[in-house]
Amino acid sequence: MNSIQRRLTLTLGAICCALWLTGSTVVYFAVRAGLVSQFDLALKTDIEALANMTEQSQAGLKFDSTGEFMPKFQREDRPDYFQLWQSDGSALYRSPSLEENSDLPQRFGTLQSPRFWNVTLPDGLTGRAIGIHFVPKEDEDAPRAQSAPPLTKEVTLVAAFHRAELDQRLYYLGSVLLLVGADLALATAIAVPAIVRRGLRPLSALGRRAETIDASSLQLRFATEDMPAELRPITQRLNNLLARLEASFARERRFSADVAHELRTPIAELRTLAEVGLKWPENESQVALKEALQISLQMESIATGLMALARCEGSLLTLHPEPVQLAALVEEVYQPLEAKARAKQLSVELNLPRDLSWCTDRATLRSIVNNLLSNAVDHSRPASAIKAHLEKNGAGGCLLVSNANDALGADDLAHLFERFWQKDPARSSPEHCGLGLALARAHAESLGMKLSAELNCTEVIFTLSNAAPSNGATRSTGEGVTSTRG
Amino acid sequence: MRILLIEDSFRLQRSIGRGLHKAGYAVDIAADGEEGLWLAQSNEYDTIILDLMLPKLDGLTLLRSLRANKNGAHVLILTAKDTVENRVEGLQAGADDYLIKPFAFEELLARVQALCRRGYRRKNPTIDVGDLQIDTAARVARGQGKTMELTPREFMLLEYLAVRRGQVVSRSEIEAHIYPDAADLMSNTVDSAICILRRKIRSSGMRSLIRTRRGLGYLLENEAA
Repeated sequence: MNSIQRRLTLTLGAICCALWLTGSTVVYFAVRAGLVSQFDLALKTDIEALANMTEQSQAGLKFDSTGEFMPKFQREDRPDYFQLWQSDGSALYRSPSLEENSDLPQRFGTLQSPRFWNVTLPDGLTGRAIGIHFVPKEDEDAPRAQSAPPLTKEVTLVAAFHRAELDQRLYYLGSVLLLVGADLALATAIAVPAIVRRGLRPLSALGRRAETIDASSLQLRFATEDMPAELRPITQRLNNLLARLEASFARERRFSADVAHELRTPIAELRTLAEVGLKWPENESQVALKEALQISLQMESIATGLMALARCEGSLLTLHPEPVQLAALVEEVYQPLEAKARAKQLSVELNLPRDLSWCTDRATLRSIVNNLLSNAVDHSRPASAIKAHLEKNGAGGCLLVSNANDALGADDLAHLFERFWQKDPARSSPEHCGLGLALARAHAESLGMKLSAELNCTEVIFTLSNAAPSNGATRSTGEGVTSTRG
Repeated sequence: MRILLIEDSFRLQRSIGRGLHKAGYAVDIAADGEEGLWLAQSNEYDTIILDLMLPKLDGLTLLRSLRANKNGAHVLILTAKDTVENRVEGLQAGADDYLIKPFAFEELLARVQALCRRGYRRKNPTIDVGDLQIDTAARVARGQGKTMELTPREFMLLEYLAVRRGQVVSRSEIEAHIYPDAADLMSNTVDSAICILRRKIRSSGMRSLIRTRRGLGYLLENEAA
């Protein structure tokens, strides 16, 4: 399974082990180089001493083997070795420890820059050798004549020393580093998983909390107070997402309940009509059929409204923008409502500029205007006024439709655009099911417009704001055509 | 049996009212809560069918007012509100039954019958008075096993006398329960109906079980003599 904890543990463990290994190796080789360099420096001092003991005179070359330096080449236990060659390759002198027939390997550098190498000593042990090629100093006891040319005979000197002490130190260093490395690897194996687990604890807690959240517990939230800074934006986003989901689920539940509730009464009406009609048939079947038709139309109206709303909310509405003359559209929509308005003695004032047109979808805008005007006619106080006019506000202006409505209160404004909301809790009206304004707002949003409502004493004002630029003048009064009907 | 239907849907008023009437019930109808409360307090009903979402006065407030005024009529709530909370609230407010829309009319009828029976402390839908058997569920009366041809109003009268058998039932009580919709009832309407009922009982081969108590009313004998 793909696990962050396992991956982090393995990666961190591997990186730590690699770092320990690299560090140990670097330390080992650095210390080793220092020790060898130190050892070689001692060898160089020794070979310089041996070189000092080599002298030449006009009589020839000689090696002074009486110095106090000689004992280390004479001891019986692990003696050191040296050998001196003349330039013709013949051995001039061997250390007492070196047998007659055994020669040291002949490699050399200069006195200033001797050559060092590891060697197997004649006694079979490991050693380190140093070789130089140099011109021995002149013998002070037998000085050459002043007229004689300088003595330039060259010799090769190779000395080999036991390196057991150096090897022991290097072995000790290696052991210490290996031991420390093993301890660190063990500590890493224990500490890294614990540290990773501890570091990922908030993430695990987040995961456990998320497991407890399902569709029935969307009210739960992730705690953000103790969350690490890296996780806080995630938990905040998750909380926002949960809040949106909760609201969405609640809306869907309310919607389903509303639909079910809204359809229950017409279904009950239809069913009772049919059952009673079948049980006790009557002659007036035309009346029953008319009632059945009215009920069907009412249910159809609910279904049509819901489908239109679903199309709007699902962005499935097909729009065909075209220049729409607002005044003509409003008058066209009002015409079929005129008889009803007259019956209620309503005076209707349509004050809209003739030359103003909005570039929008005619059918959708018509549906919005129809909703606003028919609501105004149905809900206006008898013998009151309905006004529709344009206000210059923004690029395209605002269409305002107002009417007197005594029933609405300030608290109702928040619910006006909710699906299935009706002021009358009895929902007695067979003509209205509470979908009209919700649909009008959804339509307005589809057109990029905004539909809002406000209450001025007993006058309710609906404002349809169009942000898109309009053609023609945008005036509230003046050159527009004002028609008053009552 | 007299039923009060408080329902704002005029289509349901018509359908349920017609169905109950055809089933042999006297039905009063109120279209809003205030009218319903006034009718419930002014008359004696065997059962009240009550919608909850009503104009002017909601059903629950109406029900609580009735119970606060010691009105003991059986109440059946008939509503589209279907949640458990709604049902619990309705029953706790004093309803005897709860039915959710849409409903089967037969079920509504059966529940109304059950509530009406409960009013007279009966559990059996059949009332036996000697050889006279009244099936209140099937709305059928039989004399010596033979089905009697009764109009709904005659059946209601017989049923009302039968559920109160052994008791004197006054003419005004009969008028209130059987003829609620007839404001200008003629003075001899009840007497005529009793007379017709007696004749139909006798024609089924039984002696007339209905006795007249002069100045008091009518009495259906408890046991066959």
